Amino acid sequence: MKSVQTSQFPAETLEALTPEAPKELQVERRKAADRFTALPWPTAVHEEWRRTDPARFNLTGWSLKPQQRTVTVGWEPLPEAAARQGVILTDLRTALREHPDRVMPHLFQSGKPEQLEKHAALHQALWSDGLFCWVPAGVRVETPLSAWIEPAGTGGRSGAAETDSVIFPHLLVVVEEGAELTWVDERRPGPQPAAPIWINEMTEFFVKRGGTLRAVRLQQWGTGAAELQLQRALLHREACFSNWIMGLGGGITKGNIEAVLSEPAVRAELLGIHLGAGRQHFDIHTLQDHRAPNGFSNLLYKSALSGQAEAVTTGLIRVTPEARKTDAYQANRNLLLNPGAHADSIPMLEIETNEVRCTHGVATGPVDDDQIFYLMSRGLSRPLAQRLIIQGFFEEVLNQIPAESVREQLIGELSSRLDRIDASGEDSGG
Amino acid sequence: MSQPLLEIKNLHVTIEGKPILKGISLTVNRGEVHALMGPNGSGKSTLSNVLMGHPKYTVTQGTILFQGEDYTALSTDARARAGIFLAFQYPTAIPGVSVANFVRTAMKARFGEAFEAKSFRKSFKGALEALGISENFATRYVNDGFSGGEKKRHEVLQMTLLKPRLAILDETDSGLDIDALKTVSEGINRLRGPELGILLITHYQRILDYVQPDKIHVLKEGQIVRSGGKELALELEKTGYKPYETEAAEAHAAGAKGVLG
Repeated sequence: MKSVQTSQFPAETLEALTPEAPKELQVERRKAADRFTALPWPTAVHEEWRRTDPARFNLTGWSLKPQQRTVTVGWEPLPEAAARQGVILTDLRTALREHPDRVMPHLFQSGKPEQLEKHAALHQALWSDGLFCWVPAGVRVETPLSAWIEPAGTGGRSGAAETDSVIFPHLLVVVEEGAELTWVDERRPGPQPAAPIWINEMTEFFVKRGGTLRAVRLQQWGTGAAELQLQRALLHREACFSNWIMGLGGGITKGNIEAVLSEPAVRAELLGIHLGAGRQHFDIHTLQDHRAPNGFSNLLYKSALSGQAEAVTTGLIRVTPEARKTDAYQANRNLLLNPGAHADSIPMLEIETNEVRCTHGVATGPVDDDQIFYLMSRGLSRPLAQRLIIQGFFEEVLNQIPAESVREQLIGELSSRLDRIDASGEDSGG
Repeated sequence: MSQPLLEIKNLHVTIEGKPILKGISLTVNRGEVHALMGPNGSGKSTLSNVLMGHPKYTVTQGTILFQGEDYTALSTDARARAGIFLAFQYPTAIPGVSVANFVRTAMKARFGEAFEAKSFRKSFKGALEALGISENFATRYVNDGFSGGEKKRHEVLQMTLLKPRLAILDETDSGLDIDALKTVSEGINRLRGPELGILLITHYQRILDYVQPDKIHVLKEGQIVRSGGKELALELEKTGYKPYETEAAEAHAAGAKGVLG
């Protein structure tokens, strides 16, 4: 098995990725490259890789040309009021150049990854482009801020998809003490949605004392995408964090979604919906990490799967001995639209203190024939009936999405994805 | 013009190989209200489901003609769009789908291009008022947490707005208190007219005090054993279904209500 060699990461190549970065960041790149080289590729023996073929992510056969810009990032212009209040929204490299004092205390500081260590090390060695958003203490950003990431496409003469085959986008969002932000980040398919692409992405959220962050992620990678995603939120005292993930795209997606309740009285909501068709595969690990007293966390993930799509949802609630008076809940529900579709739910609890309230619930089942008959008896065709049921199934997540405009955008995207699935017949075939 | 609205000819139906309807023949003309009565397990709900094209049932013999056309093998949604409506005895909940969204989608399906989105709000509101349903009903999820009475009103609400040609009311009276029964009956009576045919399926004669039928049929073990006018209801009130029940039917009713219900 051919895999990436250290020789591919000479120090100057790594430094050339972000020449504007401070010295210590370049040092960290090299350390990460060494870590990556030292660690073995995971195999199916590892618990977190039991349901997703690790070979899909070990870069065999992928061409790694880190010196090329392969990611495009963009964002809606910052509203004037927010800019006046000192809010920063820009690409990560510009941020490193212009606001190193804001970026450096946070970049790669949300904690060590507990899973996907080798892939995380590769990300830290090779990340090149990304987004940075910073909200100063006490500032309430009224309108949602939106940004997006997409593969850049080949552009050049080389033509073939190989030059764009690996990308390492990084997102960093910092909400300082008492500040408030609604954030939307979108993953777009790029100019060649079917081209094979390997995405190794990391998102870091920081919510400082008493801050509020509502973060919405709309994942619409192309069908050729194999994505590894690490998302970690480091939450300080009395922070409020809510997170919505809408996964519509990608061929194979493996995500780690972690909320770290590092200080007392944090509130975290993790909501997610995934819609899969064809042979799409979603493997999501979530972690509600209670490390301090009086925390509350609630997770609700729902998947609707047609064709031969698969979803694996592994949810861990961990409560350390310090985290007394914790309330933590998780639920996972899956709707199977086709006998070929498949869902696994694996809830886990690790509780090391008393005085906690924890529940978890899972349910997976096919579409209810009685519901289909009822809707068809009102004149709805079977596909239309099924679509209404899917939308209803997701409603309890959708109706909590902050800001009318964002909610409408996501409902619209869900609807067009359902249109495309209907049109392509992905739901019946494989 | 003399063509019947609904003509059921020698209909035999099985579920999982078990015969339920054994040769039903019934003709409903435009403007007529037919009451179909009978003990539990006699096949009343099977007939209503088969008329709506429920996939669980198999028609082994006979035909269903609607406005002269053979509908026996037609899909459920096509029947609905043509104007057949079933008010369910136990309408199913569809969490996350609001009543307004559901009714609007159904009206679009039923009327196609003739559906006027602009006038929807007004007609929807009017129908709610007529049935004594509060406006917040619009945003509630279909049948989700509805009381028995709310479910039945919701069925009649849809019937009002979808303007069917043939309405099959499957025990719409069951589980209603007297006030709700009156409101629902008034809702049905408002829809009566020279074009609409109604098949009123009921266990009790109570609703027939409010919705006067033109004809009454008694179903027993999958066959119509008596047909007559209004006077038949009074007779049934006195005698009950005893003369129409057999031990087998009783046992069946006790053991398999879930299947036939």
